[in-house]
Amino acid sequence: MRLDTALWRALGVYRLAALLYAAGSGAAYYDTWQRPRLGLAVLAGMAVWTAASAWLYGDPRRRRWPLLVLDLALTLAALLASVLVMERARILDGDPTITVSWAAAPVIAWAVHGGWRGGLAAGAAVGAGAVVERGGASQATVNSLVLLLLVGTVVGYVVALARRAEAAHARAVELSAATAERERLSRQVHDGVLQVLALVARRSPDAELASLAAEQERLLRRLVAGPAALPPAGEADLRALLPVGGDVELAAPAEPVLLPAAVATELAAAVGEAVQNARRHGGGRAWLLVEDEPGAVTVSVRDDGPGIPAGRLEEAAAQGRLGVARSIRGRVADLGGTVVVDSAPGRGTEVELRVPRV
Amino acid sequence: MSLESEVTVVVADDHPIWRDAVERDLAAAGLQVLGAAGDGEKAVRVCAAVRPQVLVCDLQMPGLSGVEVTRAVVEQGVRVLVLSASGEQQDVLDAVKAGATGYLVKSASTAELVDAVRRTAAGDAVFTAGLAGLVLGEYRRMAAGPPQDDAPRLTERETEVLRLVAKGLTAKQVAERLVLSHRTVENHVQNTLSKLQLHNRAQLVRYALEQGLAD
Repeated sequence: MRLDTALWRALGVYRLAALLYAAGSGAAYYDTWQRPRLGLAVLAGMAVWTAASAWLYGDPRRRRWPLLVLDLALTLAALLASVLVMERARILDGDPTITVSWAAAPVIAWAVHGGWRGGLAAGAAVGAGAVVERGGASQATVNSLVLLLLVGTVVGYVVALARRAEAAHARAVELSAATAERERLSRQVHDGVLQVLALVARRSPDAELASLAAEQERLLRRLVAGPAALPPAGEADLRALLPVGGDVELAAPAEPVLLPAAVATELAAAVGEAVQNARRHGGGRAWLLVEDEPGAVTVSVRDDGPGIPAGRLEEAAAQGRLGVARSIRGRVADLGGTVVVDSAPGRGTEVELRVPRV
Repeated sequence: MSLESEVTVVVADDHPIWRDAVERDLAAAGLQVLGAAGDGEKAVRVCAAVRPQVLVCDLQMPGLSGVEVTRAVVEQGVRVLVLSASGEQQDVLDAVKAGATGYLVKSASTAELVDAVRRTAAGDAVFTAGLAGLVLGEYRRMAAGPPQDDAPRLTERETEVLRLVAKGLTAKQVAERLVLSHRTVENHVQNTLSKLQLHNRAQLVRYALEQGLAD
């Protein structure tokens, strides 16, 4: 994650800048310290830890609680060392401590690593250290305590937000890469395989091979075209649900034929049965016509088989046969629609399924 | 035979394998292939230069789309047979509204293709069931939409004919079923296309006037 690298590096810069400030502040108040050598030693220790922590936090594998606890402990130690270095009276007067703002560094580290809770905890710890150092709560210590708590929570919260944004951005980049790859693939397929399949379909002397190639061409084309525009929620495009391809030819409007999803599915299933029927008893081929009118959707299924002689339908129904036809009628009747069978010897059979729009 | 050899064709498709095969098939059937083009602009240029009777045109080409090519060459008096892959229904409809008079899927057989080119050259509309379904759907869409004074309507007879063609009946079968002459059926089918094309052109002109593009 690039974001984390940048955050930890920023912390290192903060610590270095705060160290320089502490050194300047130390130089200004050096004369007032009761143990100047100890003060210098503390500043030297802070310098060493500024360098060491920058190196330690540089590796993601080391950014763990042990290191963060050590960081906090060392900082608290440096903060509390002011009690030994400075005169009691000057501490109570509000002279700057040795660490000054350098002490806030682990609060930021905890916030980056542990979110607002981590920042809050470390802020409380450093704030408490400051209170102990000053020997009790005063206006100044309460101020810095509140400031530390705010820094801890705000930094933690903002870092969490930034991480989420970075993850979302990464997903978007992945998605756009996948889309580009898909487009590249579909261009390849469109320019090569599809053309050859269409050619085989058209020129192969083997009818079965030709029909297989045509079917594969159709499926592959739909695949590389990607998902069509999604119909509104709860609705479905009837055209996409119909059993076409092979010997079944579809005639339909250019625009989606939208029906409630359940109605579309049920109607498509009824059409599927009618198509199977047409293939079994008809000449093998079937034609589907979808008509979309304001009041109703009509699907006609036609075959060019021998047709059914007049009276045969009634006869078959009377004998309890025509199971498939009854199933089709049942499905369509459940949708409030009607089925009309039109047939004559030598003219094929036509089944018209009409479902009203509600 | 001598009449047939006078049918002149240009083939436009951006896929060389496919284009070469179509050219060979048409030439083998005795048609005269005057030229070929791999993109839209070239198709328009070649047609202007060699004036074929028929342009066999793919819809998805680089540069000018098949629909734009159709609009341009129909102006020059060239008849357009759209040879498209399945699943480009809106494009097919747009090409037909722009003036194409025939449509065949790419998987159609060589015999069907040759026959379709001849019929297009003769001025007949080459109607597959799929195209009839699209045209019927377009009239229904216009009828269902907001009422327009000049939106074309189908007569009852035309609707009847179109529905039968869309159900896969040949013109001959339609003629038998409705007890009409073959020619009458062809005329009805052609009328449905002409009205659509006329309306499309009128709309374009009106659009141009509204936008101040014409003077």
